[in-house]
Amino acid sequence: MKPINILLVEDDQLDVMEIRRTLDKANIIYQMMTARNGEEALTLLADRGGSGIEELPDILLIDINMPKMDGFELIEAIRKQEEWKHLKCFIITTSNERVDRKAAEKLGVSGYITKPLKLNSPTSMDAFNLIIDLMNFKSKE
Amino acid sequence: MKISRYIFLTFFFILLLFSITTYINYRLSQMVVVNEEYLSRSGNIIREAGRFQRNILTMVNGLHGYLLTGERSFIESYDTASVENDSILVELSSLLTDSSQSRLLKEIKQLNDQWTDEYTEPLKQAKILSNVSAKNLDSFNNFYKEKFATGHEQSIQSLLKVKFKRFATHEYEIREANMERLAAAVGKTRKLSLMLIILSILAASAVIRFLVKKISRRLRQMANMANDIAIGNYNVSIKDIGRDELSSLGHSLNHMASELSRNISLLQRSNEELDQYAHVVSHDLKGPLRGIGNVISWIEEDHKEEVTPKVNEYLALIKGRIVRAENLVEGLLSYARIDKEEMEKEITPVNALIGEVLENLPGHEKVSVEVGELPVIHTEKILLFQVFSNLINNAIRYNDKEKREVRIYCKEHKDLYEFFVEDNGMGISEIYHKRIFIIFQTLADRDSYESTGVGLAIVRKILDSKKQDIRLVSQPGLGSIFSFTWPKN
Repeated sequence: MKPINILLVEDDQLDVMEIRRTLDKANIIYQMMTARNGEEALTLLADRGGSGIEELPDILLIDINMPKMDGFELIEAIRKQEEWKHLKCFIITTSNERVDRKAAEKLGVSGYITKPLKLNSPTSMDAFNLIIDLMNFKSKE
Repeated sequence: MKISRYIFLTFFFILLLFSITTYINYRLSQMVVVNEEYLSRSGNIIREAGRFQRNILTMVNGLHGYLLTGERSFIESYDTASVENDSILVELSSLLTDSSQSRLLKEIKQLNDQWTDEYTEPLKQAKILSNVSAKNLDSFNNFYKEKFATGHEQSIQSLLKVKFKRFATHEYEIREANMERLAAAVGKTRKLSLMLIILSILAASAVIRFLVKKISRRLRQMANMANDIAIGNYNVSIKDIGRDELSSLGHSLNHMASELSRNISLLQRSNEELDQYAHVVSHDLKGPLRGIGNVISWIEEDHKEEVTPKVNEYLALIKGRIVRAENLVEGLLSYARIDKEEMEKEITPVNALIGEVLENLPGHEKVSVEVGELPVIHTEKILLFQVFSNLINNAIRYNDKEKREVRIYCKEHKDLYEFFVEDNGMGISEIYHKRIFIIFQTLADRDSYESTGVGLAIVRKILDSKKQDIRLVSQPGLGSIFSFTWPKN
């Protein structure tokens, strides 16, 4: 089975641990790179093939509140680049505010996951199922 | 010019007009009095003149009688009339004011004197002497014939008659002229008084209209301004370039409005900042809290065997406090979120809304909830839901009775509904009635009732944002009645 490539953009290491545990629990096979903020993520994406990742990630899990460059700014920057435009971005955040959901929708994200992470919570279930589908799809390739 | 000066001047002007009217009428009344006096005097004059004329006749008859008969009684009546005429003359000359009449009277007197001198006295003497001798009688008879043959005496008498007639006619003419003058004066006075009164009424009503227009338009403007301020529109001012009392009132109102506007916007800004602050702080608190919770659950999941039962017990305590802290943060967030988001209005049947509220409250099946006939309102459903949810939740939770009862009903007022949530619970002492609406204030200890003290603060904030009131009637042990108002639209 081919692991799914994930770029996690998250500044809180405890959250990184939590996400890993949740993905494990969901039996998702993945390869993960992490960035601590938007800027780092952009550097990693640009540096692909160098010291960074070999190929573009299948999905990005992006926190909203981060230092230097927040999640929304990062997605905006990604959408501006022709070669990154198609990347599947997921928001992963503590905020369940309507404003944030609307802003994410406007940027065309693939899913919205709320912390604390629960695989079967009504707010995050769709996003997790989509990730599992993506993984299954990639395995069949 | 000041309004008070306007009023004073108008009053003074009208007073002046009325004074003139009064003076003119006073003059007229004086004229009437003078005329009255004249009339009575004139009557006297005519009467006395008549008496004088009659006396002359008496004298003529007396003289002739005496001359013919020699009877003394004739000469006596002559003397009486003559004496009386002397006094009448004195009185008449004192009564007469008209110079031509005086002249006429003088002429009458002269004629009378002439008659007395030429006829009466000589004939009287001759008659007295005629009794002495026959010769004397003859000479008297001759003298008598001689005197009356000429007819001169007759012409004096008829001249006297003419003069008397003229005297009377002239007197009547004067009287007529006086009456005419008086009538003209009365007419003139009436016309003038009427004109002055009309003028005063016109002047008064013109000035009153001017003042009312000047005042009422501006008062209306001020009333509108006050209404604007009352509904929260502070950016209003009155343009008034006058320099009277109302203008200074207008300036004060403008000043008040601008101060209000400034203070309100300061207040709004600090409220917004406070909400922003609460939002950011509570949001940032959520992360670490969740982190701690995560670590504890990982310990429980992966290392259950390695920790002692005591540690497990402590971990459970920590988890409990994390839940409490998260509830507080969540409460603070929802408190700060009120009136942040634009709410859409929808048709809300309140009975159905209460049903939804109860479905979301665990344990409501054990409570007897009696819901009255409630209206259907076009309003922000979510806000009304939150208000009812918090009130009903409290009514159910803080109830130590065997049989818990909650009653929900409504009273309709002109522009709003008044909703009641009544319970038979523990009740609240009056000293806490204010305090319970302050955020994070609770009356029950947190260990027995996991209460954040946010619910009623949220209720209060929602009602404040809609400019509505909440009231509480409650006594310890006697249950509570919370009532709040909600606009119909």
